[in-house]
Amino acid sequence: MTAHSLPTFPQRIAMRINGEDREFEVGRDLLPTTTLSAFLRERLGCTGLKISCDEGACGACTIIMDGKAVLSCMLLAVEADGHDLLTIEGLPDDDPVIEAFAEQCEPGHGTALQCGYCTPGFVMTARALLDENPTPTLDEVKEALSGNLCRCGCYAGIAMAVGHAAEKIAERGGRA
Amino acid sequence: MSAPYQPRVPRRFVGSYRPRIDAVEKAHGSAPYADDEIAERNYPGLLHARVLRCPYPRARIKHLDTTKAEALPGVRCLLTYRDPEVARLKPTNAGWTDAVDTVSYDNMMWRKFRDRRVLGDYATWAGDEVGIAIAADTEQIAEQALRMVEVEWEQLPFLLDPISAMQPGAPVIHPEVAEHNVLPPDPIGGPDVFLNRGDVEQGFAGADVVIEMDTSHHNPTQGSLDPWCCVAKWDDDRLTVFSNSYSADQTRMHISQMLDLPIHKVRVISKYVGGQFGRCDTGDQPFFLFTALLARKSGRPVKFKHTRRDSFHDTRQGALYHCKVGAKTDGAITALHFKSIGDIGAHADHSVFALKFAPAEIAEVALAPIPNVKMESYAVYTNRIPSCMMRGVGNSQFNFIFGRMIDGLAERLDMDPIELAIKNFGHEWGSCPDQSLTAVLETGAERIGWADKRHKPGQGPLYEGAKRRGVGFSVHPGWHAEWQEERRGQVQAKVTFYPDGTVTLDAPTVETGTGSNTCNVLGCAEALAFLGVHPQDITWVSTVDTDNGMRDCVQTDSAVSFLQSEVLAVVAEQLKQKLVDLAAPVLGVPADQLSIQNGQFVAPGHSVSVKDLLWQGDLVPVSVMVSRRPSTQRTGVPYIASFAEVEVDTETGRTQVLKIVIINDCGTVMYASGAEAQQVGGQVMALGEALTEELIYDPVRGVPLNFNLID
Repeated sequence: MTAHSLPTFPQRIAMRINGEDREFEVGRDLLPTTTLSAFLRERLGCTGLKISCDEGACGACTIIMDGKAVLSCMLLAVEADGHDLLTIEGLPDDDPVIEAFAEQCEPGHGTALQCGYCTPGFVMTARALLDENPTPTLDEVKEALSGNLCRCGCYAGIAMAVGHAAEKIAERGGRA
Repeated sequence: MSAPYQPRVPRRFVGSYRPRIDAVEKAHGSAPYADDEIAERNYPGLLHARVLRCPYPRARIKHLDTTKAEALPGVRCLLTYRDPEVARLKPTNAGWTDAVDTVSYDNMMWRKFRDRRVLGDYATWAGDEVGIAIAADTEQIAEQALRMVEVEWEQLPFLLDPISAMQPGAPVIHPEVAEHNVLPPDPIGGPDVFLNRGDVEQGFAGADVVIEMDTSHHNPTQGSLDPWCCVAKWDDDRLTVFSNSYSADQTRMHISQMLDLPIHKVRVISKYVGGQFGRCDTGDQPFFLFTALLARKSGRPVKFKHTRRDSFHDTRQGALYHCKVGAKTDGAITALHFKSIGDIGAHADHSVFALKFAPAEIAEVALAPIPNVKMESYAVYTNRIPSCMMRGVGNSQFNFIFGRMIDGLAERLDMDPIELAIKNFGHEWGSCPDQSLTAVLETGAERIGWADKRHKPGQGPLYEGAKRRGVGFSVHPGWHAEWQEERRGQVQAKVTFYPDGTVTLDAPTVETGTGSNTCNVLGCAEALAFLGVHPQDITWVSTVDTDNGMRDCVQTDSAVSFLQSEVLAVVAEQLKQKLVDLAAPVLGVPADQLSIQNGQFVAPGHSVSVKDLLWQGDLVPVSVMVSRRPSTQRTGVPYIASFAEVEVDTETGRTQVLKIVIINDCGTVMYASGAEAQQVGGQVMALGEALTEELIYDPVRGVPLNFNLID
């Protein structure tokens, strides 16, 4: 492929990242080929998301774009032009999903995390689910999280944590 | 689970249900993993390395032309097999130890199986790191440069299964190690017949029934989500390596020995690891060496990271097992003969541990009451992905045939397999029936509904036309008693007590997810209860840094959960004495009349808070470091049993697991939530391994087809 046959991209792109409007210059801040996951981690230091499979299979790089959970390794950074991005760094300290994942120790289910590498991805997917559906059934939780892989096998604890997060949201009057 | 765990002995903190100590930072995504920290902002001038991976199952590099690659802008440094600093590196093995101890090159466990050359010119599997490594400004440039290296390969005949590899005339994969692809006897694993107790032939002759059976176990991979990565950085003649290795002290020894550097000139740092599960054995991996050499040659810090495909780097050993068993009609086993053929893949590494060492250990305990036992094993090279440790080294393969044997014999004798197991197995200094074995089997039977659900093969009811259900179990002697950790040598821990009553706990162990950090904090709080210390008063040092002079306790056998806490009990005694010696002259009380209870110095006529007294002094923290070998007092053998109820569609073969019951005689549970997470998580991984995961090879080209998490 020759250079002039490459698709064209805007020279400057703008996106909202964790509530802050940012502008970047293609060629200086990122390349047209830079994935969104690599851009967020390496250029912006958002290291909560992980690049584990880099091919859309594990969910460790999940962020929220315009309210939906997306795999940031499957998007180019330039594709985020004009969009609103939320990474785990943008969640408040008392986020009910984060709290519920951290606190899970209900007997019989284990913790919601062990090595913790997949956890930010699970938190973001669960966050997007609960924003859309604050009272999901267990089947809906399983369906929503089916793209996230936990090799430590904490699925039972994770399901409990999402349930507890929903309870916390309800207790806080539906506040996300 | 019907009832939460209740500690047998009431304790303040040990055995409790609570969140992990690292749960908040992990849930926030702020826990520091190596890949998060090895970045340009922390390592200015950072270069990224990629290594050539052979596209063929077996090939030799005849010639490399690097001219075009060197000319690519952004390429900073190349290292090839022709460079003297590479060529002079000794042949090695990636499993120097099973990680319980730190070993030198000369004393590596598998010193007869040094089949690895660092960046050599000979590749023995499709994926082998060979020939050349390139450091460039970005990973992409390094990868592009590798594609521009013109490699002239001599493709060689290859082998994908151990039976073909054992045939006369088969290509010999590592002639310097194994003349006919079968690993020779060695000092650790022993000869081919590595265990021969009594006389099995006589045992079979005296049996009423003799049956034989086979199993075949495939080779799943660990699949840690945190791909291996490291950075190597030189400051003058001193090398610092920061990585997600789970064994810092051994990694330092490996690098020091292979690069011929004095130990104090190598510093190894590890923080959190995103799942270990045995991958890459103890991590005595060539990539540490070529990354360090690239960093020295380029004068810049160099990062190396596996892609997901690269992280399909090793597996559990595939193994074919054959078993012959003889028994009396009352179920007493008279003789057992196990024979295994292990597919060890392209490198020997730690395979013999799984094929000989681990089964021999089982024979010494579970099979101790059987008078005649013979075990033989053949570890065979093929040109597949190398095998190494994976959760329960060698046990899955052995348990598979062991379970089949129990079922097969019980069926033949018309006995209940639980009764058969209890009648025959125990441990060497115990008596039959063994209490732990009996407890796990009887509890499991009750929980799964054995009495109602168990039926003879083919005699159960049909469900929905063609589905059948069955219950079964697997049983295994556990590896989490202190005496079983004797080979660890010294286990170390240090406590620093501050004048305000808070504590820094340096119990070096790389946290891989097992929750040992939480166990250590609970063990420390329990030991320091006399000072009124609570878990929240303790800061656990999460970074393992060899510069602190202490050896890290590596997370294998689930043993770190208690090994360092055993040391902390001794630390606490010494700390108490130190504080008493400090306070006695201040209080004007003889030290032998002074004690500490609930945070108070107590003596006749005195009761003063430890904090208040220390706060009046020089405010110097009081530290105690203890190095101690595990106690070798034999406390028994804990058993584990897993029961499952499955449903098989006899028309399609579709298998569904309806219920699983895990009964693990854990002994003293250090941390209940963590112990449950480990049990459940291990079973989840086992389900994947049994039902959905398998590495597939193209038999024609000899290359793997599904080194990803999708297929």
